Amino acid sequence: MKIYSFLFILILTFNFSSFAETDEEIGLKIAKEAYESTRGYIDSTSEQLMILIDPKGNEVIREISGKNLENMDPNDGDKSLIFFNKPKDVEGTVMLSHTHVNDDDDQWLYLPALGRVKRISSSNKSGAFMGSEISFEDFSGLDYRKYDWKYLGEENYEGELCYKLESYPKYENSGYTKRIGLTDELLRARKIEYYDRKGDLLKTIYFEDHKLYNDTIWFADTFRVVNHQNDNSTIYKWENRQLNIGLNKKDFEKSSLMRLAD
Amino acid sequence: MIENLFQRKILIFLLVYLFLTSHINALDFKAYGFIQPETSIYINGDGKHNQDNYNTSLFGKGTFISYLQEGDAKFTISAIGRFDQNDDELRYLDFQKFKYEYYFDDIALKVGNEIVFWGVNETFNIVDIINQSNLAEDIAGTKKLGQPMASISYSQDYGIFDIYLMPYFRERPFSSKEGRPRLLFEVDKNSITYESSAKKHKMDFALRYSAVIEDLDIGLSHFYGNNRTPVLSPNPSTLKFDSHYPILSQTGVDIQATKGPWLYKLESVSAKDGSERHLSAAGGIEYTYYGIRNTQSDLGVIVEYAFDDRNDNPFNNEGVIGLRWSLNDIKSSSLLAGYLFDIRGNSNRFQAEFEQRVNDDLKLFFDVSLNGSIDKADFTYQFKQDSSLTLKLAKYF
Repeated sequence: MKIYSFLFILILTFNFSSFAETDEEIGLKIAKEAYESTRGYIDSTSEQLMILIDPKGNEVIREISGKNLENMDPNDGDKSLIFFNKPKDVEGTVMLSHTHVNDDDDQWLYLPALGRVKRISSSNKSGAFMGSEISFEDFSGLDYRKYDWKYLGEENYEGELCYKLESYPKYENSGYTKRIGLTDELLRARKIEYYDRKGDLLKTIYFEDHKLYNDTIWFADTFRVVNHQNDNSTIYKWENRQLNIGLNKKDFEKSSLMRLAD
Repeated sequence: MIENLFQRKILIFLLVYLFLTSHINALDFKAYGFIQPETSIYINGDGKHNQDNYNTSLFGKGTFISYLQEGDAKFTISAIGRFDQNDDELRYLDFQKFKYEYYFDDIALKVGNEIVFWGVNETFNIVDIINQSNLAEDIAGTKKLGQPMASISYSQDYGIFDIYLMPYFRERPFSSKEGRPRLLFEVDKNSITYESSAKKHKMDFALRYSAVIEDLDIGLSHFYGNNRTPVLSPNPSTLKFDSHYPILSQTGVDIQATKGPWLYKLESVSAKDGSERHLSAAGGIEYTYYGIRNTQSDLGVIVEYAFDDRNDNPFNNEGVIGLRWSLNDIKSSSLLAGYLFDIRGNSNRFQAEFEQRVNDDLKLFFDVSLNGSIDKADFTYQFKQDSSLTLKLAKYF
């Protein structure tokens, strides 16, 4: 895989210099290849830990566990289940999402206090997720289909040569107008800067603790999010991530929410 | 509080089962809950019936879930309980859930106590019928009692069929003499009659089909059994209400369309209650403004209306306008406020619930319930003096 990626990059690099491709075409090509290198996970489970840090250094912990199901449909998004564990007052809450590429997701929430499943509006993909600096939109931020791309050149980052890519959301309710990111030679995102609806720099996500799963897929197991406007930050960690474990597809339907909950 | 043999049998069966299987499988379980002291002040002073203008109460909930047979089966206990200073009817323990479930590929079987909610509305839940409402807890009927049942669920791509058999009926709890708010008279627990000769042992039956079709969540349901709502009639010799539970045959539909920030909701039932047939419908619109004034907070506006063709029904022509403000901050602060009004008369009420997390395992709730002008003829006239402020603090474990 590594050799394949390396060869691919050689070819890409060769392409960049040899043919009159536009920066938009080059950007799209890199983003598409980067995205496709994260596909084929089939399904996954993980535990996720968030540390929310305010400017004074006060920390608050959030814990969830998640299940994901890859959607092989090239025009549609993946499905996910989130089980909320901490803070304790949300324990037992379960959220099901059927994501869509450039449209609102379908989301259902099981609320144990009401014993009720609610279909909720998901037009706020850009809202704060559990009070953190990360939004739902950011979880699918590497999906090349959601953006228009532009290749800006190469840049050194932590001693490695990276592709610098600018991207513009296609989704009308996106919380952003522009992103500028660095993708390394193994096609792993290293950091992305996000510009808000007014065009001001909002936050940076640093992708860290990259780990090669099942010998094929690189995932960053830590997202470090720094908000430049309110000086809050969030450290988002994935733990015990497992891929291709044969989850039941039916678990990712509304009817299974009650069964997966209490 | 396990008040009948059926529940006791299930309890024994489940405990034996759990004991036996726990030796075979490593017991994989989750347990969580909270206790919540509460205090209320009634701002109009003592009640119409000389109830105290001050009340304290302790509420708690515990949930235990055990996953058995490598996730193919599940055993759940979820119990709530309250110890109230003034109201005897609010000293109880209820097994909301006490159930064993087994899953085949397309079929799920369930036996035991369960809470089943049907419907889409925020305020007027007219389709919801499986569980008995605890009116001592909440006069609006949103707090339920666990319903003993056996159920089968069959799921296919085109939807889900649920069949419920309910062998035991639970009578509706009402506030006692000291409770607040309470009805004009006490409800006499020794004077209860049923249309069904099997009384509370009548086998109630329900069927539901539900499906998700893109933006639409739809449900079709039918219920046949003891009506959860009794007919109350004052008894001149006891000066209490006698209750009569007719047989209810109710067909319902509920639909929600989710279109971006807009939610459109409709519920309707056609029901034969005793000898009378009636139609009721309720629905509304919810719209959410996201990120108001460039903050993280969201503001939802909810409008709902309920219609019933029975003139004596308290919800025959009623509306509600509500606001849901979620700050999406680290404390999950939120405010839900609603103004309920009778469209034909001029009765109105205001309710608000504010909540905010204090720290990882403490959460604060502040509820306001204010009665405005209320017609003498209105059902809620008997609660006119019961405007209240309630403070609750939940400690989670």
